[in-house]
Amino acid sequence: MRRLLAALLLLAALGGGLGALVGVRADLAEFLPPGRSPASAFLFRELRSGAATTLLLAGIEGAAPAELARVSRETAAGLRASGRFDFVGDGTVTLGDAEQALLFRYRYLLSPETRPEAFTAAALRPKLEALLEGLRSAASPLLARFGFADPTGAFLGLARAFLAESRLEVRDGAWFAAEGPPRALLIARAQGGAGLDAEAQGQAVAAFRTAFEAANPGPARLLLSGPGVFASEAATAIRADVRLITLASGGLLAAFLFWRYRSLMLLGLVAVPLAVGTLAGFAVTALAFDGKVQGIALGFGMTMLGVTVDYPILLASLRRPEEGLAAAARRIWPTLRLAAASAATGLAAMLGSGFPGLVQLGVFAGTGLLAAAATTRWVLPWLLPGARIVARPLPRPVRAALGALRGRRRLAAGVVAGAGLLLAVLGGPVWQRDLSALSPVPREAQVLDATLRRQLGAPDVRVLFALGPGTEGEVLAASERLGEAMVPLLGTALEGIDLPSRYLPAEATQHSRQAALPTPEAAEAVLREAITGLPFRPTAFAPFLAALGESRALPPLDAAGLAAGAPTLAARLSPLLSHRGESMVGVALAQDVRDTAALAAVAQRLGDPRILFIDVKAETEGLLDAYGQATLLWALAGGVLVLGLLALGLRSPGRALRVAGPIGGALLVTLAALTLLGEALTLFHLASLLLLAGLAIDYSLFLAGDATDDTMGAILNCAVSTLLTFGLLAFCGTPVLHGIGLTVSLGVASAFLLACAMAPRSLPHA
Amino acid sequence: MRWALLPLLALAAPAWAEDPALARLMQGFAAQPRSEARFTEEKAIPELDLPLPSQGTLRWQAPDRLEKHTTSPIDEVLRVEGGRLLYERPDRGIRREFGLEEQPEMRALVEAVRGTLAGDLAGLHRYYEIGFTPEGRDAPWRMVLTPLSLRVRAAVQRILVSGRGAQVRSIETEGGGGVTRMQIGP
Repeated sequence: MRRLLAALLLLAALGGGLGALVGVRADLAEFLPPGRSPASAFLFRELRSGAATTLLLAGIEGAAPAELARVSRETAAGLRASGRFDFVGDGTVTLGDAEQALLFRYRYLLSPETRPEAFTAAALRPKLEALLEGLRSAASPLLARFGFADPTGAFLGLARAFLAESRLEVRDGAWFAAEGPPRALLIARAQGGAGLDAEAQGQAVAAFRTAFEAANPGPARLLLSGPGVFASEAATAIRADVRLITLASGGLLAAFLFWRYRSLMLLGLVAVPLAVGTLAGFAVTALAFDGKVQGIALGFGMTMLGVTVDYPILLASLRRPEEGLAAAARRIWPTLRLAAASAATGLAAMLGSGFPGLVQLGVFAGTGLLAAAATTRWVLPWLLPGARIVARPLPRPVRAALGALRGRRRLAAGVVAGAGLLLAVLGGPVWQRDLSALSPVPREAQVLDATLRRQLGAPDVRVLFALGPGTEGEVLAASERLGEAMVPLLGTALEGIDLPSRYLPAEATQHSRQAALPTPEAAEAVLREAITGLPFRPTAFAPFLAALGESRALPPLDAAGLAAGAPTLAARLSPLLSHRGESMVGVALAQDVRDTAALAAVAQRLGDPRILFIDVKAETEGLLDAYGQATLLWALAGGVLVLGLLALGLRSPGRALRVAGPIGGALLVTLAALTLLGEALTLFHLASLLLLAGLAIDYSLFLAGDATDDTMGAILNCAVSTLLTFGLLAFCGTPVLHGIGLTVSLGVASAFLLACAMAPRSLPHA
Repeated sequence: MRWALLPLLALAAPAWAEDPALARLMQGFAAQPRSEARFTEEKAIPELDLPLPSQGTLRWQAPDRLEKHTTSPIDEVLRVEGGRLLYERPDRGIRREFGLEEQPEMRALVEAVRGTLAGDLAGLHRYYEIGFTPEGRDAPWRMVLTPLSLRVRAAVQRILVSGRGAQVRSIETEGGGGVTRMQIGP
């Protein structure tokens, strides 16, 4: 007893030390594979470290609209003052004086309206008439300030294009959602143009919450979303979810085991292999992956190792009254060894999947299983040499039911055949092709994110174009070529496209616009003709003529010049144009795409080496399909390997097949049940099925060998323990946890019942 | 010692230790929570040969809502409430909202009219230096407002508000070499 306590203490200390030594990675991005095609490689790089990781979307609701607007304005002011954000959008976005001055100076180089034909008398005349009309209106102070230096309206057109592109409704200086209850909207981009790590993301989220609290929100609530929130807060929520479930299921499991065995010692006994398995899995994974253990692999791996409670339960329950624990361990070891080895072999399929997260999960769970089995064989007997733990007899009705089930092979075969038939009728299992289903983010958080994105008109990055790599000029030129090719599709195949060249034209384009500007002398003659009959004085447009001369001599504006002189615009440009090593890359985001094929066709026709079309949905779906198929193939190979192993261990192919029968049957029944419930299979379901196969091997092996009432009782205890551990997971909000819980629960129940039904009927009672 | 303190006291006294006539006038404005009047306006812009006329209605609602509805030659509405400015041009379907601080020219004018109509002398002092001439037998009172902010003064140099009793009769805005004269009906 003292040894057991000491062992538990030692394990707890080791766990603490290991946890402190090895950092756990929290982001989903690292769980994902590196892309296989250039398109998917680009995509995953963006997802992992792209500018998208710096975006925060917010909604404020729960108060009167005027109050929401005030809170929104003050939150935005607080965000701007914090200095942590490159860009804050809230309906009061403006250009500063210095920015206006820069834009004004470069108006003819930046404006797409700068063409030779724009400076003819015929083209100028309507502009001058419009100016006159504007001077009559209340906007006259604005027009008097700019109109005479810029009668073509190049500057005001630019300012409008840069600022007023958002189609959001503005009320009292705040953006409001067009639908649903009143909700003010904000968008902010944290500093760090090339993406953020989880810690910086967390700081940006905290800064946002601080700014909101400082705005005296009263009853108003802040809804915050974005990759940063997912990385920090959603992860915390999941951990809380898991902790709660772990505590609840741990409590239930302890209560159940205590009821069955009336022994606190057994609880300690069960804990030791579980702890050793977890520690060993963690340590080996850390060693194998350079000390980088993925948080998702760790969390799910630990959950999966919940199945190792079977080993000590089997040991304690199958001990014969006259035996010591050591003798019992020695006796059941061949079967236990075969079960653990087969289960670990089955998990090896994950190693071949090529999906980094699954490979880690496979290593973690495989190592843990073997370590737990070894612990049960050699360590437990030493810890409790004199243990006399006896399971209480099963309640009579349960025993009767199990007895009736035993040997009903035809029933079992019928159930399995029915499941197979059902699966065939349903058209086979549904494969999940949506990447977000793999995300550990709870479904409500994903829904909120999608809603805010839609309301804010933020591009839902479904279709994008990668530009470059190349020099800044080359990337911008590619962006312009793409923009030109897209013009005929605007309004039909897509609603709009956000291009880096929209904020900064390529150097060559700026040069050609300079060449299109007339000399001041030529322009003066044209103007004199254009103002005939209008009440303008002859000297009115002197500032315009001077500006033409100045513009013709300006050095073209580049990204560095824009960043220095116009931070608001540079903030718009930075997510679309970034450094990668020595060269630059760009990205163009298509909005409201209605015809993906037409966009792909344009890219194909351009055949431009610097323009790459990426259909995000198709790309991720293709990727998941590829990994799913690879995993499935490896699982089949693993199955054959396990069968071989069983044949070797049992020294008979026939017996191996008989043991494998209930396992295959349980898999089939589980798949049919999942499909019937409308669950789409993810890689995690697949991993759970592999795990399940490992469990079913235990049941099948032990029951096939010696199906006494005691064995059945022991296996029932194992199955109920597993159900208690995994059953609660099925109620989790996190899609992945839910999937694992449901799969294992269904599988364990069917594996146990099938193994019972397949067990030999006429055996002498022990 | 007592004599030596006097000049210091004079310095410390608020600069607007005020003309009682101005204070009385402001109290008169403060007593009217709402008002409405017709206006005619003429803009003289140095780059143009002719002045540009317009007319419409002015509406005031305490504490801070001011609306200028021009009916001719074009129909447009300029409404200020708090720090927000709304511009509407129904015939073109134009509706734009701005922050007043983005439009220095507009702000200078708005705060002058709004401050006067609200009777908010402290508010006027926040934005302008005030030169006041009380009402005479044949002459209206006159208030010359010079913007304190250099940025605003670049756009609007001087605003001259005059009237009879607690009623504004004319507003003259000088800026950028031009003058806008607004006459307000009784």
